[in-house]
Amino acid sequence: MAGSLDPAHQVALRPDPIHQFELKSILPFGHIGNQEIAFTQSALYMFAAVGVIALLTIVATSSRSVVPGRMQSLAEIFYEFIADTLHQATGDGGKRFMPLVFSLFMFVLILNMFGMIPYAFAVTSHLVVTFGLAALVISVVVIYGVMKHGTHFFGLFVPQGVPKPLLALLVPIEVISFISRPISLSVRLFANVLAGHIAMKIFAFFVVGLLSAGAWSVLSPLPLFLTIALTALEFLVAALQAYVFATLTAIYLNDALHPGH
Amino acid sequence: MSGNDARDEGNDGRVPPDSELSARLRRLESQIDRKRPPAAPGTSAGSKPSNGRSSLGQAMTLSTEFVAGVIAGGILGWIVDHVFGTKPWGLIVLLMLGFVAGVFNVMRASGFSGARSGRDGSPDA
Repeated sequence: MAGSLDPAHQVALRPDPIHQFELKSILPFGHIGNQEIAFTQSALYMFAAVGVIALLTIVATSSRSVVPGRMQSLAEIFYEFIADTLHQATGDGGKRFMPLVFSLFMFVLILNMFGMIPYAFAVTSHLVVTFGLAALVISVVVIYGVMKHGTHFFGLFVPQGVPKPLLALLVPIEVISFISRPISLSVRLFANVLAGHIAMKIFAFFVVGLLSAGAWSVLSPLPLFLTIALTALEFLVAALQAYVFATLTAIYLNDALHPGH
Repeated sequence: MSGNDARDEGNDGRVPPDSELSARLRRLESQIDRKRPPAAPGTSAGSKPSNGRSSLGQAMTLSTEFVAGVIAGGILGWIVDHVFGTKPWGLIVLLMLGFVAGVFNVMRASGFSGARSGRDGSPDA
């Protein structure tokens, strides 16, 4: 039975859910040490995302009509959504961070949505990208907090209403907890996107695998329905994770604005 | 008043300072608030990222919080060992503190801790 399959067919039947995350160089620039420096498809998708966001925000609002058109109201919905989130988390002083939080939200959202297009590449499934964004957020928090409040900012690490001897234990814990923030912020986004795409790929593979398994092919609609359901779930996750990223950014920025809790 | 507004917009050479802008925004907000029904403060979605989310998502969030604490402690311990040459001890102590920090993170994310209101809970205005 197995001999009747040609080798190419067998290769196609092997599940390879990781393959989709491979970086492909488009424009190599050379090497630094052993590391190849290249313009990859990941960078291409990022530029495309920036282009889409610019199109959405600049072009859609260029007419500035009082009664918004279709595109303009879409841009306004995004803006007001993020402005609301930021205002709830940081109060009045957080308005100056609106450009940062809005850019982060739109960037992550559009990249996640790009990842949902079949055969497209999910940029946010790479830890480097999400950690870069999280590191940006946390350095803004630290730099702005120190600039605005000086050493008072480090009062963030000293919990209030705690007996003095316990502080020796609690302050290091608070410091570690603070350092863990960019890690959890980046890992959450990365893990959700990665796990979702792998799960979709595997269930989609089950359809093909069952179809080629003789009498078992009767069962093949089951994983198909699951794949469809999973795709819907992934759209939800893509939007939700972008929102969570923006919300947590706003919450962390609140610490930089009001560290005296 | 409308004539006044038109003059304000025509005067584009001068950028209004931050405080004036926010004062205008607040005035507009209060005008809008009078017209629309107030949202229930307890159910606002922004105060906690875990509101109205699937339990799978919440499990993902909490486990990430915990693991991040452990990883952060481990990295710190490794750096301390590397810098001060205290080979096993920095990693051991800080990894354990990292576990504690992870548990703290989870408690904070699930809204258990009463010690630190205003951190991840609803901020004071």
